[in-house]
Amino acid sequence: MSGGAGCGNGDEVKHLEAWPRVEREQLAVCHFCDALHEAPAVEEGTAVVCSNCGSALYRNQPASLDRAVAFGMAALLLMVVAQGFPFISLSANGMVSGMTLTGASLSLAREGSHLLAAGVAFCTMIAPSALAAGLVYVCLPLRWGKAWPGARGVALWLYRLEPWAMVEVFFLGAVVSLLKLVKLADVSIGVAFWALGAVMFCLAAAIAGIDRRELWDRLEVALQK
Amino acid sequence: MKGLVAKPPWPGSAAAAGLASCHVCDRVAPVAERHCPRCGAHLHTRKKESIQRTMALLVASMIAYVPANMMPIMVVEQLGGGTEANTIIGGVITFWEMHAYPVAITIFVASVIIPILKMIALLWLCAAAGGWVRIDGRRLTRIYWLTEVVGRWSMVDVFVVAVMVTLIQLGNLMVIHPGPAALAFAGVVVLTMLAAMSFEPRLLWDRAKAGRKQLRKAREGEE
Repeated sequence: MSGGAGCGNGDEVKHLEAWPRVEREQLAVCHFCDALHEAPAVEEGTAVVCSNCGSALYRNQPASLDRAVAFGMAALLLMVVAQGFPFISLSANGMVSGMTLTGASLSLAREGSHLLAAGVAFCTMIAPSALAAGLVYVCLPLRWGKAWPGARGVALWLYRLEPWAMVEVFFLGAVVSLLKLVKLADVSIGVAFWALGAVMFCLAAAIAGIDRRELWDRLEVALQK
Repeated sequence: MKGLVAKPPWPGSAAAAGLASCHVCDRVAPVAERHCPRCGAHLHTRKKESIQRTMALLVASMIAYVPANMMPIMVVEQLGGGTEANTIIGGVITFWEMHAYPVAITIFVASVIIPILKMIALLWLCAAAGGWVRIDGRRLTRIYWLTEVVGRWSMVDVFVVAVMVTLIQLGNLMVIHPGPAALAFAGVVVLTMLAAMSFEPRLLWDRAKAGRKQLRKAREGEE
């Protein structure tokens, strides 16, 4: 295979292709310094940077749709696991108390801090789940060049939701709490704890897996059909 | 990942050419169209009243930062009726005295250092964008990026409260309640995040360009 001058080359071109676009000639504007640039289609594994301030304009991630869909689905499934199993439990002097992920918001609500409970629920469960589900909803049909109904609106809200999904921050909070509690009681870490750690990883990989410019370029092509 | 430096089709900012890039989907379109032709989001060359909005949110977060530190974030009810109210700083000191240095440092950095640095950074950015401070666009852009990325980690303390309140319900042995500072502190984090989002980093570059133009004019005048 590798010896053939022509066919090896052909395979390579297929592997390193740029994503489809409606308009071949595109422009890109730097979000930081507003410098105007040409936005050429680039092969996989290339990042395009601003000539003025050096920040990234866009990048072509290898296997982007597969990554977004696979990690997004994994994040969703693990989120279900994280909801259904015990997160942390502790025992002291024969008394046992455990918590689940939903329990954390519910107990705040029971204490009368409804606003805080809603905020915690939004940042740790609703926003991350919606983010993963939205990404899969948009990216899965894009693998066949199609768009499901409402894909444009979903994609629009996807990027507005992103900063409020705080699984990784909650995870750090749980670790800090564990370090506090170890001195007070016997602590045991549940399945949901590890599941949430995996959600954190998968969600980050899913979002980083596809550049927003690529997602929208592909979506635009799909919507025109 | 390979890096490729993009080529400008002609020198100058997009705003000067009457173009804007969509904040949601990155498409470049004439500002006159008002809405992005691709995703429908509102188009603008510069975020509206960015300095005023950022300052307003920043001032609100500074006000909320006072009760967040003065009031208890957690109230611990011990066996035998003794109650103990913990402030953020009080918690840090307790853990330091218990020799739990990693916990003490984590809470101190996330709840004290990051919010204060973020407020100072945003204040400085607003001053630079308004023209009261000399600027270096490249360095300030990096500061802005940092405030956006690091700010969310302050939420750690709120989540710690949520976990502790849920877990420490050991009947009459020990119970933990959330204090009023928890909500105040969550407010601080949300307000500073919103302040960073409403800031327009491109104002810094406009300023830098205007400065260069003025300098050139002054030099021409001398000759």
